[in-house]
Amino acid sequence: MVEGEATAAAKPTRWKPSFKLSGNMALITGITMGVLAAVVQGYFGLQPPAGDGICGISHPANIVNWLVNNIFGTKFTIHSIFVTVPVLTSVGFVIGSFIAAVKNKEFKLRPGPVRDNVLAFILGFLIINFGLLWGSCPIRTAILASYGMFFAILMLGMIVLGVIVACLYIKWKVRRA
Amino acid sequence: MTGIAAWKIGIATLFIGTIVGYLGQRSRFCTISGIRDFFFVKDSYRLKGLIGIVVGGVIGFTLVNKLGGSLSSFTPGKWQFMPMLKDGLNVTPSILIPLSAVGAFFMAYFSVMAEGCPFRQHVMAGEGRLSGIIYIGGLVAGVVFFDVVIVPYLQLLTLRFPN
Repeated sequence: MVEGEATAAAKPTRWKPSFKLSGNMALITGITMGVLAAVVQGYFGLQPPAGDGICGISHPANIVNWLVNNIFGTKFTIHSIFVTVPVLTSVGFVIGSFIAAVKNKEFKLRPGPVRDNVLAFILGFLIINFGLLWGSCPIRTAILASYGMFFAILMLGMIVLGVIVACLYIKWKVRRA
Repeated sequence: MTGIAAWKIGIATLFIGTIVGYLGQRSRFCTISGIRDFFFVKDSYRLKGLIGIVVGGVIGFTLVNKLGGSLSSFTPGKWQFMPMLKDGLNVTPSILIPLSAVGAFFMAYFSVMAEGCPFRQHVMAGEGRLSGIIYIGGLVAGVVFFDVVIVPYLQLLTLRFPN
């Protein structure tokens, strides 16, 4: 054996976590979300309400209400644990995504899937209003469903129904065009 | 709550949000697109994410409960399958049930039109997608509208239908 080959074989390879898009990456992300939501509630006291570790509806609403209350002196509803300090999960979503995009050279200012800016604004407006009627985003609904909350299981069913009706509408619109 | 304890929660939410945001960007995770893709083209990649949340939730509350954490709905140290199942449809006042159903349905409907759940829109904003950034602007305006216009009506309704 050549001496150089032996040295190369003996050199220990350093393990690095891979965040490449693999077949199970979404599954891993989902499991991580479920576990972290329980951890942040169980060890950092992010409760009540139950199952509110991660949410794309109530957390942005809480931070906006906290800011408006502190700037304009209003009394908009905030979860009791976030009265002193705002919940920063939604800020973290944007920062985490920004770091990942920059690190993987995917960050670029470009139009998103909704090309009409006014429509994007209206959709954000409508989605938060309907979402606040139920009080949870699909992620928190799934977390609550995993805790066995029958009401959340029912609402998860309504979310699935809403998606199916929207898909059927898109199909109908495409056929008609 | 003391200031330090409150800041601990604030920083924990920022930290966990960053981890989840990072993973969400790498995996293209989206709950609404998961159901949509499966319905349209039988692609289960993103749907696995939604299933993963349920699996992760079960693993998470089991681990937290076993390792001495405290979750408000559970009996500490005891294995419980779906601990909130006993609550059933225990929502007071009951008028909130149809309102929540309408809310969940239309949130999903409009999220399909926006091509992503609220979490995915945050991730798209972080990637530099203009529609995601503008969507968040609409979301902020929507929160204020909800507080100023919708909440008083909800209070009237809950007074009118107390049970």
